[in-house]
Amino acid sequence: MNSEINHIAGFQEALNTLEIDRKIISKNRKLSNIITGLAFITAVIWLIIKFHTLVLLGFFFVYGIIRSAIRIKTENDIQKYKAVYKTNIVTPALKNVNENLVFTPQSGISDCEFISSELFTTRPDRCNSQDLITGTIDETSFYFAEVHAEYKIESENKKHTKWYNIFKGIVFIADFNKNFSTSTVVRPKNALDDISSWLSKNILSFGNTDKVQLENIEFDSKFVTYSKNQIEARYILTPAMMERILALNRKSDETISISFIDSKMYIAFPLSHNYFEAPISTSLLVPDLLKADLSIVQFMQDIVHELDLNTRIWGKE
Amino acid sequence: MIVILGFFVFLLIFGISIYNSLILKRNQAVSAFSAIDVMLKKRFDLIPNLVELVKQYINHEQGTLTKIAELRSKATSGGVTDNEKTSLDAELSRAVKGLMVTVENYPDLKANTNFLNLQTTWTESEEQIAAARRTYNAVVTDYNNTIMTFPRNLFAGMLGFTKTDVLATPEEERKNISAKELFNN
Repeated sequence: MNSEINHIAGFQEALNTLEIDRKIISKNRKLSNIITGLAFITAVIWLIIKFHTLVLLGFFFVYGIIRSAIRIKTENDIQKYKAVYKTNIVTPALKNVNENLVFTPQSGISDCEFISSELFTTRPDRCNSQDLITGTIDETSFYFAEVHAEYKIESENKKHTKWYNIFKGIVFIADFNKNFSTSTVVRPKNALDDISSWLSKNILSFGNTDKVQLENIEFDSKFVTYSKNQIEARYILTPAMMERILALNRKSDETISISFIDSKMYIAFPLSHNYFEAPISTSLLVPDLLKADLSIVQFMQDIVHELDLNTRIWGKE
Repeated sequence: MIVILGFFVFLLIFGISIYNSLILKRNQAVSAFSAIDVMLKKRFDLIPNLVELVKQYINHEQGTLTKIAELRSKATSGGVTDNEKTSLDAELSRAVKGLMVTVENYPDLKANTNFLNLQTTWTESEEQIAAARRTYNAVVTDYNNTIMTFPRNLFAGMLGFTKTDVLATPEEERKNISAKELFNN
């Protein structure tokens, strides 16, 4: 795949130019670290030979000014370097995967859309989304972006706040090919679901009427399905669709979450890797520079075929 | 004394809870079956339009069209039982499937917008009926499990709740043939 990218006009030149910037940034970072090291060594020497404290403070003052100046310059350079990397390197590489793909690094999935997707039950207090990629395959339009959603817990006196992850990964959204009016949500099953389901059925004699018991045993062991309309949930989750979702889930390290809302299908893939970011400490000229990024893009756009979203025979245009 | 009273109160609440859940599940099964009925009616309503449209293009398939029309009027007439309606629907599906194969030889009809709309609506109704059947079977299985397992089977027996049969899956659904194949063969 990378050898194909290298043939894109101007791609190698852009990489070479950016590699010079990366080396400067990397050098400045090292310089900043050397100054920190020097300050530490000076402090150790002061402890041993006890020279005048004012001299020590003078040293610290000089180190501080030089380090801050380098740091500010480097931070600005990094921001610029990362932005150029996404525009000049990632964007043309994505076009090589699919000409229709549009990459908008600063955009993402809105908080509102993330919440309304009903993929997660906890409402986020902070939600960052970036690296939005939009595209179409035949009649199906789709988009996906990195999302990091968190909730906070404040201490009683509200002085300390701890942040906890709700989700970190990629959320994929595509037009769904069937008409439906009620939302259907498929979430990973956990041990608590099994216990509550058993208790509600066998001891308390009532159950969550929104839960949909599906006939695919493997699907039901991996996921819990919720819908206010049992028939519509089964209209969406046909036996073939359940098999396709299971096949997709097998390719993901962690269990995926899926929802079908407002003519759209949402899939959340939990991932720890931050994609489309420019490397700073390693070279841009390595052969597998964009391998992980392009693989994930290919994986995302393949979902349209894997879930057969292009079949338009159910009256939905 | 308090312990005995507490035990009886517990037993009473437990009994009420079981009775309510049995009624709820039985009603769910009835409602799920009516949903299939609604879906079938929706599909039967497509037949007159389909027959009229096909008639304009295909002259020598009058036998098939008459059979489809007859099956439809039988299925929608008042005196048909649920089981008869289900088997009439299966027969109707087979006849329409055969008709769709014939349509392949009539490019003008295949390209007709009204026909294409009818095709997609028919396909949609196929899968909606399949979903309604699956829902009915899931609800009935849950109901049957409830009345056949201890301790609810004791209450169910006393209160006259009996086992309900699930719907047999049509051969097409068992083979998991996609609706797409129905129109693309």
